[in-house]
Amino acid sequence: MNLASPFSLSLIAITALAFLGLPIGHSMIAGSILYLALAGLDMGTAAEQFLNGMYSNYIILAVPLFILAAELMNIGSMTDRLMAFCNAVVGRFRGGLAHVNILQSIIFAGMSGSAIADAAGTGKMMQQLMTKDGKYPASYAAALTAATAVIGPIIPPSIPMVIYALVSDASIGYLFLAGVVPGLLMAFAQMVIVVFDARRKGFPVEPPTPLRELPRVTWRALPTLMMPVVLLGGIYSGATTPTEAAAIAALYALLISVVLYRSVSFGEFYRSVLNSARTTASIGMLIAGALVFNYVVTVENIPQSLAVLLRAWDLSPTGFLILVNFVLLLLGCLLEGTTILLVIIPVLIPTAQALGVDMVHFGVMVVVNIMIGLITPPYGLLLFIMTRIAEVPLRDLVRDTMPFLMSMLVALALITFVPGLVLWLPRLLGYQG
Amino acid sequence: MASGWAPLGAWLYRRAESLLAAMLVAMFAAFLLQITFRYVLNLPIGWTNEISVVLWIWIVLFGAAFVVREEEEIRFDLIYGGVGPRTRRAMTLVSAAALIVLYGMSFPAVLDYVTFMKVESTAYLKIRFDWLFSIYIVFVVATIIRYLWLGFRALRGYETNRLDPTKASSGV
Repeated sequence: MNLASPFSLSLIAITALAFLGLPIGHSMIAGSILYLALAGLDMGTAAEQFLNGMYSNYIILAVPLFILAAELMNIGSMTDRLMAFCNAVVGRFRGGLAHVNILQSIIFAGMSGSAIADAAGTGKMMQQLMTKDGKYPASYAAALTAATAVIGPIIPPSIPMVIYALVSDASIGYLFLAGVVPGLLMAFAQMVIVVFDARRKGFPVEPPTPLRELPRVTWRALPTLMMPVVLLGGIYSGATTPTEAAAIAALYALLISVVLYRSVSFGEFYRSVLNSARTTASIGMLIAGALVFNYVVTVENIPQSLAVLLRAWDLSPTGFLILVNFVLLLLGCLLEGTTILLVIIPVLIPTAQALGVDMVHFGVMVVVNIMIGLITPPYGLLLFIMTRIAEVPLRDLVRDTMPFLMSMLVALALITFVPGLVLWLPRLLGYQG
Repeated sequence: MASGWAPLGAWLYRRAESLLAAMLVAMFAAFLLQITFRYVLNLPIGWTNEISVVLWIWIVLFGAAFVVREEEEIRFDLIYGGVGPRTRRAMTLVSAAALIVLYGMSFPAVLDYVTFMKVESTAYLKIRFDWLFSIYIVFVVATIIRYLWLGFRALRGYETNRLDPTKASSGV
């Protein structure tokens, strides 16, 4: 590759600007403008790609709506009631609260599509519960919360999967379905680790909730427990598009918190809407920046060139998937997940297609990689959030995350090599692939 | 003198926040309306689609221009966060200069593109695209001013903001 070509220079500019600390969205737009200028193209194309890309990709609207839904769920007392329910079910076992953490994350994963929102929403309460009276070491509790939050976007709904669908044209509905088994598998692996740790480290048992209390606790949590059913039922019965389902999720959360539980003030509602709008603006800039830069990448025919290059290596589909896993895990240590999804994945997709890799299978594998990247140092957003919430040193947190990380790598290997595990449920519901 | 303007600035900032929040609520409402019309009343309508997409563009550009704070921006923090304040100021200065030059250079062409779009209107509401896309012009101007300000602050020796992982979120 010629280092003085407009494309190389723009790539260098984007990398340099991002390293200098310019927001990534701006870096990509600025670098793309540089490309247009050097290549003698119309610089207005940057605006055109930004605006038309945003205008014509209707499915991305699911992103702000899922963000809103997660914010609304976190302000009501939905979380408290869910916690009481989980405690009644699994609190009675050794390491009860650790199991509560996992079960609660599974249910939360069925309502929210963001790992960061899950950790930020329930992390603080879980941390307080688990460390009260020194029941669990603070770093262990924080590590567990970080690990269980990872499941959030793997079990549907999922914001990263919506973004993957945007760049790959794979069906959001089938992608969501495909995440169910891998997500549950990962949660199961975490429970196994907790069972061993609980015995070895002598974790406490919670006072068991009497069985006759169970119906009442379940009833109190029922509207929350029904949310995944409403959400996914809407999508798979064909009643709503995934984007509309996101709006319904937000409405449902709002109705439960405001009307049924009467636990939300106007001020809280306003703050959560504003927070969602802020997040929407900063993630929107990232998406738009990627749309502009992806135009440059397409003009330069980069994905096809890569496909040709890789074909010369004579990679088998499995070899390619292993390579992708290594690259993504490495990038996940350094980069932010959405950037990887928006910039790196589009370059890989033509090769994957040429090798006959199923796009839904590939998508789940990619998303699991991105999620693992959230807990791998030096750059792991979930680690950063949990060190803040739990006030534990990053080093201790990373140490206690290791067993969970290992279990996720095992799950990733299974997901990579046994496509049937991922595709079984979508196929059961009509996926032809 | 400067302190006299600060309350006004804070007031304007809060109103910008309210507007941003209102746009998100409106987008949410448009979706609910669309679902109600299609499934409850069996009357599919297209204009709600249009409104939500338009609001999405405006939320992103208006938010990025006026509401999103430095510590909420999604950035690559490994090097930026690891260096001392002096180096970080120098980095801010260089990247701000690059952004101002590149955005400034493209500005005439961007203005051309947006004004040219007056020839087209949206399918349902017949909103002229130059109006709809005008927020991009506002965004570019506001961004250039913001980075002039950030560069100026860095020159004067003010601490530049780092990323705050509990605030910056990219939706993952």
